[in-house]
Amino acid sequence: MADQEMEVMNDRDGLGVGEDVIGDRPKRYQRRRSGNGLPDYLDWKNVDLLRNFVPERGKIMPRRISGITAKDQRRLAKAIKRARSMAMLPFVAD
Amino acid sequence: MAKRTYEVMYIVNPDTDADKIEKLNEAVGKLIEKEGGEVVRMDDIGIRNLAYPIQKKTTGHYVLFEVDGSGQEILELERRMRVNDLIIRFVTVRVDEDRKKADKIRAKRDARLEKRASFRASKNEQRDSAEEQAEG
Repeated sequence: MADQEMEVMNDRDGLGVGEDVIGDRPKRYQRRRSGNGLPDYLDWKNVDLLRNFVPERGKIMPRRISGITAKDQRRLAKAIKRARSMAMLPFVAD
Repeated sequence: MAKRTYEVMYIVNPDTDADKIEKLNEAVGKLIEKEGGEVVRMDDIGIRNLAYPIQKKTTGHYVLFEVDGSGQEILELERRMRVNDLIIRFVTVRVDEDRKKADKIRAKRDARLEKRASFRASKNEQRDSAEEQAEG
């Protein structure tokens, strides 16, 4: 039984479902979610869209949480950084 | 020289008079035309809150230009913006490449959807004709 549980936890690449251990309580996350891709042309001035990927603290949301593709994450990071340089998004918020 | 498209955005000190800002925008437009560029779009966004203070100010007057040109006018424009006291922040972004990429992706997707739709239609036709034969 214990072996089976271990198996589930290590199944990161198989089913695309895994556990992320932050602190002592593991948080569940899904590897791929459909329907929340970025638009073909990501406008760095579209602050409302970018805000979805910037949590309260002002950091860029990791791919692990946002579930977007690596390519989109790179585009997103660039757009957020451009918006930051023009004071449309914070570098740090506290 | 290859034609490129740029977005130039700058933040003007919010304490300046409206007519002074208008004059500044006019001067920017004229400079671009003089250097061989073309102003596609000029957008005076107006006063917006800044996400963090710049030069102890919490608001700024945003102005956006969209410019077609070779890049030469951007060079000159940036040099002048750097020494202008009214402009507290500016950025230039080249957008034509990303737009072209986006168009390509869109075209690809449309083509695929169309292909799928036509395939589905032909399949339905086949099934319909088969059913008719079975009935007859």
